[in-house]
Amino acid sequence: MKEYYPLTAAQKMHHNWIRKYKTQQVSGVSVVASLKAALDFGLLKKCIQLEFERYGCMRIRFTKPDAKGEVKQYIVEKETRDIPLKDLSGMSLAEADHLMQQWAYETFDGDDIPLCDVTMVKLPEGYNGFFIHMDHRLIDSCGLVVMINDLMQLYTHYKFQSAYPEDLADFEEVLAKDLQRANNEKRFAKDKKFWDDQLDALGEPLYSDIQGPSVLEEARKLHGDKNLRAADIELKDLFVEVKDYYLEPEPTKNLIDFCMNHQLSMTNLLLLGIRTYLSKVNDGQEDITIQNFISRRSTHDEWTSGGSRTIMFPCRTVISADTDFMSAAYEIQNVQNRIYMHSNYDPALIEEEMRKRYHTPDNTTYESCYLTYQPMPVKMDNPHLVNISQHSKWFANGAATKKMYLTVSHTENGGMNFSFHYQTAHLEEHDMELLYYYMMRILFKGIAEPDMSIGDIINQV
Amino acid sequence: MTQEMQFKKIVAQYCKTEPEKITNDMRFREDLGFSSLDFMSFLGELEDTFDIELEEEDLVQILTVAEALEMMERLKAEA
Repeated sequence: MKEYYPLTAAQKMHHNWIRKYKTQQVSGVSVVASLKAALDFGLLKKCIQLEFERYGCMRIRFTKPDAKGEVKQYIVEKETRDIPLKDLSGMSLAEADHLMQQWAYETFDGDDIPLCDVTMVKLPEGYNGFFIHMDHRLIDSCGLVVMINDLMQLYTHYKFQSAYPEDLADFEEVLAKDLQRANNEKRFAKDKKFWDDQLDALGEPLYSDIQGPSVLEEARKLHGDKNLRAADIELKDLFVEVKDYYLEPEPTKNLIDFCMNHQLSMTNLLLLGIRTYLSKVNDGQEDITIQNFISRRSTHDEWTSGGSRTIMFPCRTVISADTDFMSAAYEIQNVQNRIYMHSNYDPALIEEEMRKRYHTPDNTTYESCYLTYQPMPVKMDNPHLVNISQHSKWFANGAATKKMYLTVSHTENGGMNFSFHYQTAHLEEHDMELLYYYMMRILFKGIAEPDMSIGDIINQV
Repeated sequence: MTQEMQFKKIVAQYCKTEPEKITNDMRFREDLGFSSLDFMSFLGELEDTFDIELEEEDLVQILTVAEALEMMERLKAEA
């Protein structure tokens, strides 16, 4: 018999965005994975269908929303849909990318429907593979990478008799464990205390915008409240542009070495770079909050069960200008480590608590920047494919819930990619250029002179 | 199952080492490959499994399996 489950906090985050922005488009996630090789599409289809059986999260469906807009999830036993093949090989790579981008904009509308589409594709320049389009409530980017690798392991097993991939953890079992943990009263009380203590200690957060203090000033005028500390979010024009910047392998290595030598994680170094930029463009503001996404994958089961586990928490730090770069980095690390321990908490409850305490107006926020550090590349990690050229690409869903969302990932040649997704209603490419330029100047000045104060770094870059 | 083996079974869920092969002198980060997120999630699971309350200030001192095990056993005895 079908079992119905409530959504986890991570799933609820996406579900709430769908409700708030009134479109499922904000919850789309799409990627193409391909190889420069002839593929046996009949076999690939069989492997994709097998993947639907192995990876339970691909079979999740949601019930019709109840009166409060809440839905339940269940996992169907079998997915019997055909897997279509689309031939785009007559196009240029840019035209094929453009077409797949249109597919990524498509929405899954309806209740009790499949929320995962896989299309096999013949691409230009001899690339062949598959395009996956899913609802983010089913899966996150880490989950997709695991799925792509598993699928290709199935393919190489049947094609080249390589080892059959190891069993994946059962999605439903991991989901039940997550929900059980979320319902643990002692755990909940500890997590709530952690987040409440932060507000007790620091009071109401203060908005900081990529474009400087004028944005908060505008919000204050609009709401007729000169002490307002939150700014309005864009609800109507969600169109998003993407601007990528590439950091060469040598400077990337310098950042990685700095992290290794100082036992600092890359996420925390990046957070320091962003927060220092925000401080710089907001007249030295010391109280800065950035939303940081955490993958919440630690155990073997969490890694291989799929699902949407990534969740964002506010990383709030108050760092004075006379704090040296290294101490500031450790301060962020200390805050982040404590957040990790309490990352089972539903971030919607943090927001709710702030609204209760500070009467924050509806549809306002304390953050303008969101960060995901994604160390896992979309690469088919398979010995049979090692000498074959690969082409993978994420496609934006075209509707941003966030003003600026930065995804930092590593490239195959040892560099780093900084992918800025920004709402065009308020931001331009030039804003991203400034942010990236100064963020790099801040980081490289800081790692060259870690004893230098944040104030001096801000003045010198 | 001893408390120590139960503890090591939890450790093993976070790394690629079998519980029987986890020795007390192993360091979480360097030998078992724990990230910060892994380590903090692991400590949260210890709290829930053994019904103990870790002092967050003490956590930065823990580097090895022995240190975490000793802390867990001490807190369990005090509880």
